[in-house]
Amino acid sequence: MNTRNKSTIKSFSWRNIVILITLIFMIVSALPNLYPEKSNIQLISSGNDIEQTTPEQLNTLLLNNHLASEQIITNATGTVITLKNKSDEQAAKALLSKALDGKYSVSSSTTSDAPAWFKSMKMEPIKLGLDLSGGVLFVLDVDTDRAMFEHLKGLGNDLKTQSIEKRIRGVNFTQTNNNSIELSFPISMQNKVESLLSDITKQSPELSVKNIGNTHKSLFYSPQEQVSFRQATMKQTLKTMRGRIEELGISEAITQQQGKNRIRIELPGVHDPEEAKRIIGATATLDFYQLADGSHTAGVLQMADSSGRKFILNSKVVFSGSSIKNARAGQDEMGMPLVNLTLDSVGGKKMSAFSKENIGKPMVTLFSEFHRDSNNEIVKKSKIINVANISQHLGSQFSITNMSSPQAAQELSLLLRAGSLNAPVTIVMQRNIEATLGADNIDNGVKALSIGIAFTLLFMAVWYRTLGLIANVALALNLVSLLGLMSLLPGAVLTLPGIAGLVLTVGMAVDANVLIFERIKEELRRGRKTLSAIEVGYKSAFATILDANITTMITGIILYTIGYGPVKGFAIILCLGILTSMFTGVFVAKALTNMVIRDNKKQLMGIALEDDTKASRIAQSSTKLNTKNKSKKTTKSKTEQLTDLGANS
Amino acid sequence: MNNTKVKPTSIISKLRFASFYFAAALIVISLVGLFTKGLNLGLDFTGGYITEFSTEQSFEQAEMQQKLSSYLSEDFQLSSADNGTHWSVRQADNNAGQQNSTWLTEFTQSSGLSITPQDAMYIGSQVGDELIEQGGLALLTAAIVILVYLSLRFEWRLAAGSVVALMHDVVVVLGIFAWFEISFDLTILASLLAIIGYSLNDSIIVGDKVREIIMRNKNSNVDTTINLAIKSTLVRTLITSGTTLATVLAIGLFAGESLQGFAIALFSGILVGTYSSIALSATIPQLLGLSPDHYHKQAQEICTLP
Repeated sequence: MNTRNKSTIKSFSWRNIVILITLIFMIVSALPNLYPEKSNIQLISSGNDIEQTTPEQLNTLLLNNHLASEQIITNATGTVITLKNKSDEQAAKALLSKALDGKYSVSSSTTSDAPAWFKSMKMEPIKLGLDLSGGVLFVLDVDTDRAMFEHLKGLGNDLKTQSIEKRIRGVNFTQTNNNSIELSFPISMQNKVESLLSDITKQSPELSVKNIGNTHKSLFYSPQEQVSFRQATMKQTLKTMRGRIEELGISEAITQQQGKNRIRIELPGVHDPEEAKRIIGATATLDFYQLADGSHTAGVLQMADSSGRKFILNSKVVFSGSSIKNARAGQDEMGMPLVNLTLDSVGGKKMSAFSKENIGKPMVTLFSEFHRDSNNEIVKKSKIINVANISQHLGSQFSITNMSSPQAAQELSLLLRAGSLNAPVTIVMQRNIEATLGADNIDNGVKALSIGIAFTLLFMAVWYRTLGLIANVALALNLVSLLGLMSLLPGAVLTLPGIAGLVLTVGMAVDANVLIFERIKEELRRGRKTLSAIEVGYKSAFATILDANITTMITGIILYTIGYGPVKGFAIILCLGILTSMFTGVFVAKALTNMVIRDNKKQLMGIALEDDTKASRIAQSSTKLNTKNKSKKTTKSKTEQLTDLGANS
Repeated sequence: MNNTKVKPTSIISKLRFASFYFAAALIVISLVGLFTKGLNLGLDFTGGYITEFSTEQSFEQAEMQQKLSSYLSEDFQLSSADNGTHWSVRQADNNAGQQNSTWLTEFTQSSGLSITPQDAMYIGSQVGDELIEQGGLALLTAAIVILVYLSLRFEWRLAAGSVVALMHDVVVVLGIFAWFEISFDLTILASLLAIIGYSLNDSIIVGDKVREIIMRNKNSNVDTTINLAIKSTLVRTLITSGTTLATVLAIGLFAGESLQGFAIALFSGILVGTYSSIALSATIPQLLGLSPDHYHKQAQEICTLP
């Protein structure tokens, strides 16, 4: 007996150290949440004639416009205003620069009262969702007409190449408007042109052919097809936008189609619109081309790369960025940076066919971007970002080598992953949106949750006494750990339903302790001594807890992988909650119990233990019968006991 | 193997079987509701109309909400931007939304505020069709994976019981939302996921106890074993459900309108989940012919069903 006890104590002290380190880590991670980020606005006098503004004046000015300030400090050099809500920053800045009329220069910065070492360790508070802290709203205009134009342009180039291959001479292609290409050709070529066009319409049935004259034809999108092209483009753009936002670690963003060709994006927790603009406004597309081998005289593109080298490209795109399923930056055996690509089935087939015929030849990656010029017209700007040799017959998985640096590889892979856009996108509206739940709602929510938690804590303390207090400590640690974990994860965003889900996980975390304590009670009633009852209680309840939690975890993980937006956010909280509640509810609570209860007590959780002789007799028998095999011998009597107890309680 | 034949003698057994039929009836009622009335899908799923306007003065959100509520009869979502001077009102895409299209002019005229109407447009749903399909697929996959895991850990009859209980809980909560025409949005979907976790938790704890008792006692009668398992987990079930229900109740009572639907979903879900762990996940294995032999790996004959 003695030796066994010693060894368990020893192993537990090791375990305790691990538990302690984990707990400290979690608590430290949660600490930044105590120091919310604040926005400071600096007013620096720009003229020589200093017109004194008093803090009172500024405060009334701000308050009249529903902007709460926390602190206003005026000194010789200027004034610093600390705002209560970070989301007010833009409005306050606009208001102040208007009111002060150029006498002061207005600038802002984000600060927090947190110690400097938090920042150096990149520890940040949890990001709050749209409902709790607002964010930025963007309305994007998707130029589907331009997309159709570009699509037809590509098709036109394709036609040029094909007509050269098929030796159709004297064909002229003109793109008169966004939705049609006109062909003019000598009458002798009529049959060949017709067969070429019938091939094209077979490949892409959305196109129609119209005869304008004997030597004139038009290839066009019918109005109906134009609509479906627009819808498909919008769908693809929406998908790409969602992908980009997700790729950048912003979950719980709202992306919706608005009207015919606009997209409405609401990003939570972003109070710097410029940053967000850069993220979603990038309208880059990637296309892969073959170098023209000189035999074709028409259908080529001339491009220069960043160092000014000129390349002549075959105008037919091998495959475009939309075929890329995944891209990861990596290194080859020599440690050179590269980007590993995975294509979808369409792109894979194209690549396989292409690379088989072109081993050893270079392939060019072309990066194109749309932007508005000074006349507010959309201009397409393309540049070559990479020229690489095809080393072997490639399938749907291959890599782009020859990258200049690991950073370049990282950037390219991010861009490829985020998905390319076929249609130029411009931001037509941008606005800071306020929390959709007013401050009252949030206060009410927090109040409700506090009441719920308080009730739970009180109940546990009354029902289970000492052990209940231990459970409460474990519960508090659980909440803190969960906050810590969520602060660590860059993608986790807290919304009001999220908070409710959090409390629910906490509510369910009590379950682990209830299970254990009920088990201990059961063992005590069977006559075990306190210490061994605790030991057995924790051990046998653990299997049940594990089973229950693993199944919930499976649900959580599946929901996370397939879900979107709020569902994903909820799944994250669910999974993290399971991890922390297992940790605190079982391991921390066990360590605490061992620390608090060191001897066999006379009474635990309101159960007075039977007199010593009987108790020790049963305890002896049951310690011997600790293993499952042996305990079978006494099952019958135990079961009977259990039935009686059940009836009593 | 006559002793496994179900003869509900004790009160618990009677209650159990009564509640089993009750649960089955509930499923039927819920399905009828779902198929006849359908879910009252919220803005997140259907898309709808956004009307934007700006005001000269800035207002608190609650203030504006109150002002607007007399002009807009149905549910609407209000959000503000630019420091309480720019407003967007979202209405779900149903017929009523269009009939009421004059509300902004009425509001502008009679409120006495200087309101400048801005864009009014139709917006698509936040959740696309493909995401709904994906979601359904996710739930199905989850159900199958859980079924497999529980079959390995326990026994397929117990696993089937847990999964049926799970389906029952989800269907009944959906049924409640259909019958009472409560708006079903993404938040409610999230709470359904929480209910799934809760329901599984309950079922597994009862199932675990059943297994434990059967393993300990080879010759036990399945009926009494299940009753015993329910009895000995009852305190735990009541405490956990009680504390969680208290929290949800607090949310429902004090957290205000925005979490009302969430609280309703969770409250009904936990209630339903608690009783289904007894009525379904404990009773179905018995109906499927669970016997102690399944845990003792002996040759067995097929048990007669009641």
